[in-house]
Amino acid sequence: MKLSYIYEILLFVLLILLQTLLLNRINLFGIATPVLYSYFLLKLPVGRNLYSVIVSSFMMGLIIDIFLNTPGMNAAAITIVGAFRKNILGLFFEREGYDDFVPGINTAAGPFVRFTIFMVLLHLTLLFFIESFTLFNLKNTLLRIGTSSVVTIPLIIALDSLMCRRKAGEQ
Amino acid sequence: MRNLFNFIIRNSHWLLAALLVAFSFYLVFTQNSYQRSVYLTSANQVTGWFYSLSNDVTSFFHLKKNNQLLLERSAELEREVLSLKEQIEILTAADSTQVSAFASDSLPLQQFDFISAEVVNLSFSGVNNFITINKGSQHGIRPDMGVISAGGGIVGVVSVVSRNRAVVIPVINPKFRLSARLKNSENYGSISWDGTNIREAQLQELPKHESFHEGDTVLTSFSRIFPRNLIIGFVNSEGRSKDDNFNTFNIQLATNFYTLQEVLVIDDTYYEEQKQLEETLQQ
Repeated sequence: MKLSYIYEILLFVLLILLQTLLLNRINLFGIATPVLYSYFLLKLPVGRNLYSVIVSSFMMGLIIDIFLNTPGMNAAAITIVGAFRKNILGLFFEREGYDDFVPGINTAAGPFVRFTIFMVLLHLTLLFFIESFTLFNLKNTLLRIGTSSVVTIPLIIALDSLMCRRKAGEQ
Repeated sequence: MRNLFNFIIRNSHWLLAALLVAFSFYLVFTQNSYQRSVYLTSANQVTGWFYSLSNDVTSFFHLKKNNQLLLERSAELEREVLSLKEQIEILTAADSTQVSAFASDSLPLQQFDFISAEVVNLSFSGVNNFITINKGSQHGIRPDMGVISAGGGIVGVVSVVSRNRAVVIPVINPKFRLSARLKNSENYGSISWDGTNIREAQLQELPKHESFHEGDTVLTSFSRIFPRNLIIGFVNSEGRSKDDNFNTFNIQLATNFYTLQEVLVIDDTYYEEQKQLEETLQQ
């Protein structure tokens, strides 16, 4: 139990560093940027306390915002996603699961991929629409949501299969 | 009553989420013109440290290219020195008798000084782009100073300053405005960025009769922040204008933000004086 908390904190820090130091400098074709930090929300156990999910997603967003000088934007988007996480989980996974169950490509590949696609699309839609308050350009915003999702989703699935394989190797 | 309490307790996580989202939106909407606390920007100690650490690594990959650029720049300056030397020789040789009574001050105060700085972080993936540099108030950097690249193109304007770091709002930020003109014309327009391409900005509000040729140079005009006649970019094509009375041009920016590493911050020695003078008029 305690080990899984350490694992989560490590993931939290790693994803922030990955996003701010590496991924945010990538800008494919001038529009697509991978936004990977929502992976943290995907990997929390199903039965995790709702308050801690909401607070940790808010903290994640705020820290990313401080690094990227976009006060509030990432925090607002990821907090909304975190609040609806439980309801979205219900759409893709059976309700009668264990509380410790962690969604992953090794445990339930099909539902996990669909869950990832839904969460990433929701997150990026919120994020880019909040961002475009300052400069509204519908076509450009939709294009950025679409292309960034296309880049982000395969990255998350690849990262997850990498993590799962390593974990299986350790056991 | 008990039902009401039960309802609130059962749904209090929504309340928490709503509060946090409201706080985030408060941050989004109160950040007018970037006049925010230093703590919530990349100018603060911790993020600055992380960024300079990562920059130490990444700057290696640009070393060769930057060397090349510096060599080109020094060659250019060398040529300028030579031509100026020649001019001095011509001027001193032509006239042996001098009227010293009307000679100007022999040591004119230089108006612009340059502080070199290194880019430690640069974001250009979103709409709200910014640059963090590794010099701050203790190196003499103040808000509203102009920033140019080592190659001579304009980069942006300093907005938030901490002790060792400063955040620059670049040309490629929708909040950036600067007056500009075409090289062979006296009419002024305004530079802004439409958020689509980081190699291209827009020159707006030029009079309709203004003609252009592809490749025309765009220079700074009157500005409190930049000296006159700095290169901003080159005309690419005619853009869409909001208004029938004015022309808009797309311009290719002289600064390449993808590879920006070294910048120069312009210190205008008359800045305070001019500001005070202009403020006395407003009172």
